Amino acid sequence: MTLIKKLTKSREVSSLLFLIVLFLIVGFINFDFLTASNILACFNDSVVFTLLAVGMAFTIFTGEIDVSIGANLGFSATVVGSLLRDGHSWLFAFAVGIAIGALIGLFNGWGVACLKIPSLIFTLGTNGLLRGMIYIYAGGAWVENLPAKFTSYSSKPLLGNLTVYYAVALVAVIAIHFMLTKTKKGKYFIAVGDNAGGATLVGIPAVQTKIWAYVLCGVFAAVASIIYASRIGFVTSIAGNGYEMKAVAACVIGGISLTGGVGSVIGASIGAVIMSSVSRILVFMGFSSDYDNTITGFMLITIVVVDSLMQRHAAEKIRRERLTARATNTATQKGGE
Amino acid sequence: MNKSTTKKTLFNWDSFLFCVLILEFVVFGLANSKFLMPRVLLASVNDFIAICIIALFVTFVMITGGIDIQAASIVGLTSIIIGVGWQDGGLNIWVAALIAVVAAAFCGALSGFFIAYCGVQSMVVTLGGSFLYAGFALLVSNLSATESYKGISGFPEYFKIISKFKLFGVIPSQLILFFILIIIAYLLLHKSKYGRNVFLVGINQEAAEYSGINTRLVILSTYVLSAVSAAIAGIMLTSYLGTAKSDLGSNLTLNIITAVVLGGTLSTGGKGSAIGTALASLVIGILRFGLPLCFKVNTQYLDIPVGLLLLVVVIGRAIVSRPQTIAFFNKFKK
Repeated sequence: MTLIKKLTKSREVSSLLFLIVLFLIVGFINFDFLTASNILACFNDSVVFTLLAVGMAFTIFTGEIDVSIGANLGFSATVVGSLLRDGHSWLFAFAVGIAIGALIGLFNGWGVACLKIPSLIFTLGTNGLLRGMIYIYAGGAWVENLPAKFTSYSSKPLLGNLTVYYAVALVAVIAIHFMLTKTKKGKYFIAVGDNAGGATLVGIPAVQTKIWAYVLCGVFAAVASIIYASRIGFVTSIAGNGYEMKAVAACVIGGISLTGGVGSVIGASIGAVIMSSVSRILVFMGFSSDYDNTITGFMLITIVVVDSLMQRHAAEKIRRERLTARATNTATQKGGE
Repeated sequence: MNKSTTKKTLFNWDSFLFCVLILEFVVFGLANSKFLMPRVLLASVNDFIAICIIALFVTFVMITGGIDIQAASIVGLTSIIIGVGWQDGGLNIWVAALIAVVAAAFCGALSGFFIAYCGVQSMVVTLGGSFLYAGFALLVSNLSATESYKGISGFPEYFKIISKFKLFGVIPSQLILFFILIIIAYLLLHKSKYGRNVFLVGINQEAAEYSGINTRLVILSTYVLSAVSAAIAGIMLTSYLGTAKSDLGSNLTLNIITAVVLGGTLSTGGKGSAIGTALASLVIGILRFGLPLCFKVNTQYLDIPVGLLLLVVVIGRAIVSRPQTIAFFNKFKK
């Protein structure tokens, strides 16, 4: 009983229900949507957003945000893609890409955690800087002719139609979920976001935790960039443009509160599936997929407004309960005298 | 006393920005004498006037402690409403422009309502808003018979004239408009009761609420103001380019935020000035104009200097205001 109650109250479950209801509604309008291969494709296609959203979730847990991951993804993808094209070993290319992601994360973490600069503004600056650096590095050209062996991995099925990438991402998400909820260090992220002052007082290194969150976010963006390059097969100079916003939207839709301290990476990955399915759903319902962003924006606003109103209602209810409890308490005390 | 006030005016942030602006003129002028030709210089205003206009009123939003990243998408929305209203709706172009401004104000009010009355973070709402209003723009452009990527053109001369008009044959209308808006923003922010309320809300919303200010309405109004300014920028851009497109101004966000922050507005709210933002937006605008002209910088690279500028300003300000640094400098003073 308590388990069921706990489940219905948890935010991931409500976003999972949202996903199921959404798919069912679309299925009623167009039966072709509800085939196994199509639903699996929805999950497979979400792999880049899943990784981005999980990375973003770390920073949002600590109460910050990183809007530079779109450019981070674009820059890492450009570097990794060009290294692979020039015949460097895979390991070297991936290592360089991940190192770049980590360094960008470290820089963001330094600005936000050490210098206490508002995260949105700082990472917006990093985003502009990186966007320009993509042009300089690639000379404005696309990175094309990636090795066929590299791009072929994107369609390699592991079990049935599940691609290797999604399977890896899924395992990573579950592993991180356990790390965040079961290990001591993992719990720091949520603790810092919930109450930074309190966390510091009980001995949690808030600054280091925030820096770690940004480094992890950067690393996830870099990993996503490798998969992005493999899936698309080429890297344009505007690769990843606007992905940061979609990752934020995925987190919010997945039940992560932007005030920090609430949510889980499982939720973020469900949000990512919803997010990346929107364009597919639009096509199945007979609309132009151009409205992808519109629907995302609409969902984003609706969810945060409803969430905020519900939270306020809950807070109000608790306050009222406390006041009535106090009133009855004083009344009985007076009666006793 | 007198000495300290002169010192204050000499060493404040606005005069620093003014010096940076002069420095830009000197450097760009030395690098390429074409830069200083009044005709070229004044014509360059067209390219960055949107940043200047919008940044002025996004300052209001940021003083209340919020942020507005939807203004750029409202520029496109205004532009396409004018185009479709005029071409496919058969409206008078001024009526279409008026409708566009009203629509923009409505968009601003909607976001402002969610932020002020529902207590949602301004960042999320305006992020969603930027998606949503860009989508509205797409929706409107699909009402038109013209394909959206082509844009609607062929506007009447009397509409194009508002951006081609030059006072005394030299000063472009954009600059005149900018000055008028600076004066309006200055009076509104620094000389009116409304402006004081905006500052008070940014410093301490609760205290403002208890002192009888309708803080929610004040917050909402700032988003309406920034949306309307985006609409004005959209009208100017449409008139100047002669085409209405739904994705006009989509790359403005970084520049707008940089201009506001560079102008001395505290991103946590409570501090900022209209003059500072105006100067900062000119610094950015001249930078965006001068670098390609004088140093052959590709226009696609222009996000680098702007992003760098933003980072340098925020990092610099953070380092200067650190207690360690203040203590370090105090040692020297003694």
